[in-house]
Amino acid sequence: MRAAFALLGLLLLASEVRGAEISDLQATLDGNRVLASFTLSGGLDGRLAQRIDSGLPTSILFEIELHKDRKRWYDNRLDRSTLEVVAVHDAVARTYSVHLKLDGELIESRTVRDREALAAAMTRIERTPVFTLGRRTPRGRLLVKVRAELGARTILSFIPAAIHTDWADSNKLRWLPP
Amino acid sequence: MSLRERFERHRKNHRLILGGLAALLLVFTPLFYLSQRGRDLPAALVANRVLLFVLWYVNVILILVVAFVLLRNLIKLLVERRHRILGSTFKFKLVATYVGLSLIPVLVLFFIATELLQGSIDRWFSTPLAPVLERGNAVAQAFYDRVEGTALRDASRALEEVQGFDLEQAGERPRLARRMRELLAELDLDLLVVYEGDELVNAVLDPRSGIPDLPEPGRDFLEEAAREGRAVRMDTPAGAPGRLVLAAVARPGAPVIVVAGTLLDPGVARQTDQLVRDFQAYRQIEAQKDDLRASHVLLFLMVTLLILLGSSWAGLYLAKRVTVPIQALAEGTRAISGGDLRHRVDVEADDELGVLVESFNRMTEELASSKEALERSNRELVEAQRLAAWNEAARRIAHEIKNPLTPIRLAAERLLHKRRQGDPGLGQAIEDAVEIIIREVVTLQGMVDEFSRYARMPRPRPAPVDLAQLVGDTLSLYRDLKPGVEVEGQVEDGASPALLDAEQVRRALINLLDNAVEATEAPGRVLVTARRNLQNGAHLEIRVADTGRGIPPDSREKLFLPYYSTKGRGTGLGLAIVHRIVTDHHGSIRVEDNVPRGTVFTLELPAV
Repeated sequence: MRAAFALLGLLLLASEVRGAEISDLQATLDGNRVLASFTLSGGLDGRLAQRIDSGLPTSILFEIELHKDRKRWYDNRLDRSTLEVVAVHDAVARTYSVHLKLDGELIESRTVRDREALAAAMTRIERTPVFTLGRRTPRGRLLVKVRAELGARTILSFIPAAIHTDWADSNKLRWLPP
Repeated sequence: MSLRERFERHRKNHRLILGGLAALLLVFTPLFYLSQRGRDLPAALVANRVLLFVLWYVNVILILVVAFVLLRNLIKLLVERRHRILGSTFKFKLVATYVGLSLIPVLVLFFIATELLQGSIDRWFSTPLAPVLERGNAVAQAFYDRVEGTALRDASRALEEVQGFDLEQAGERPRLARRMRELLAELDLDLLVVYEGDELVNAVLDPRSGIPDLPEPGRDFLEEAAREGRAVRMDTPAGAPGRLVLAAVARPGAPVIVVAGTLLDPGVARQTDQLVRDFQAYRQIEAQKDDLRASHVLLFLMVTLLILLGSSWAGLYLAKRVTVPIQALAEGTRAISGGDLRHRVDVEADDELGVLVESFNRMTEELASSKEALERSNRELVEAQRLAAWNEAARRIAHEIKNPLTPIRLAAERLLHKRRQGDPGLGQAIEDAVEIIIREVVTLQGMVDEFSRYARMPRPRPAPVDLAQLVGDTLSLYRDLKPGVEVEGQVEDGASPALLDAEQVRRALINLLDNAVEATEAPGRVLVTARRNLQNGAHLEIRVADTGRGIPPDSREKLFLPYYSTKGRGTGLGLAIVHRIVTDHHGSIRVEDNVPRGTVFTLELPAV
């Protein structure tokens, strides 16, 4: 029994990446669209950089949730979307292609030539529309939550575990349906 | 079980086994294919994250299934052992042996294979291949740097020349074109283009280069050059014989951008590209080393678990096939020893155990028929004995009645004789005859009373009895009755109080003591003991032992039958009454030889 708890603890610890976090999360309303801006700090570590340089398509998956701002309520989530940043390195052309996909649909592509630009492209999201509010969206204060999934690693050489940051909360938005 | 039912069950079992084998085949065929083709599959597919998670969850499910199968059977076996179900220990040992025989080798094999695999993967990446590829890649990158540097330098040189022209004046354009052609030749370029902003001013190409058309550098490229002062691209334009290096330079604040293009030697470019791609492929495998290792370990684990599941199931199935018939046989033995000869073992087995089951059932059938025949013989024997006893009783009753009748007849004849002779002693004779007749009639009356008492003996009415006092009172009737014969009693403290019908037990004791005292010649001893026996179920044991002449073995069987006597006189009801009293008390009586001589009657009565 102790071994099972130790393994569970190991899995939980291993699934969180040290030092990586979502910062500067800002949510704004543009008409009925929710725009999100945030930065992933410390996420592009040596493991990811090595993977990108090898030419393998490498992604950072941002899980974004829209919540109603209610305390002490068990189910505040209104909507959910994923923003995936995929980087592919072309070692011959010496360029990095960065693709941004919202819920699996490509919304932006760009090519950068150095790692600094790559890091910025992968970790800084600027005013990207992530949700569209409608008549059914309840009025009141809303909140955007974001966390990043930074791939997977293996525990004890064979147990796969996803690596992700903690959830970050945005500023509150006041939504009044038209 | 009918032949048809057996056939149906066989067919179901065979179907189950075939189904299991087909399922295993279905699972192992793709696994075998994967293992065969594994080296041909791209590493990215083998180390795919989705595949890893799928494999892991399949393994988790398999682990749970194996654990469930093993734990369920283990708990079942432990419960059976705790409840001491017949054959559970044997079943436990058999199952443990079967499962252990498969579990241990498979696990050992899994750990050895995993270690070997991990060692092999580590060795792949510690070979001299890595530094060779790294150096090759470094050379290629240096080559690209050099080519890019040369292109940038040539573009800068051209920019200096172009800046000397006033591009606003139309007359300058032909002169610029001429100078650009000269620069193309001087700098050994394949392409030279001048832009003003994103507007093409002039472009010259080396006709020997083989570039069919002016390549489009792209707005991003020009914007980057305008913003950063320089930009480099490597491209393979459509129709071009090789890779084209484009370098763009601009002066900050100035709108003029010069793009210089150099076509790399196709052979060198191809080799350099291949070097870079090989190094990248190597790095891809290295980056996926952990995932690759995990996927192989998970595949091993899956195969191990499948084998484990199959072997455990087979072990349990085989153990069941052996233990179930044995358990059924053991239960059958117990049932038969308990007297249930109709019990049959209904277990399917087509091997030696099946023969054993069939033999057992045949033996039980024979036992049942033998018992039935024996019981029938016993009944006939008892009937014959009863008939013989009735014959004996009739004979004895006739004899007993005849005995008093003779004196009565003689007395009557004597009176008649005296009367006919006119004997003066007739009066005295009448008195004598009447006395004889009355005496003999009283004897007959007593005999009839005795028979009636036996026939109408009341049911016992148990009440708490002080057995010591009862025995003492009864023995007091026999003390000093026969000189030289001691009559004694020993009653243990625990024997009283006892729940008995005191009058009936006293009667039984009197009958036994009558016989004992009569059978014992001086010097002799009659001993009555009573104790509570806690073995074989608590009961009260009363023994009457004498040192008399004993009872012949052939008489013992008929000893308790009514009207049977070895004394040649009396009614023959004494021991029958004792037997009746003991039986009515739900007890038993037995007769044995007393050592060294005499007889012992033992009464066993329930101790309530």
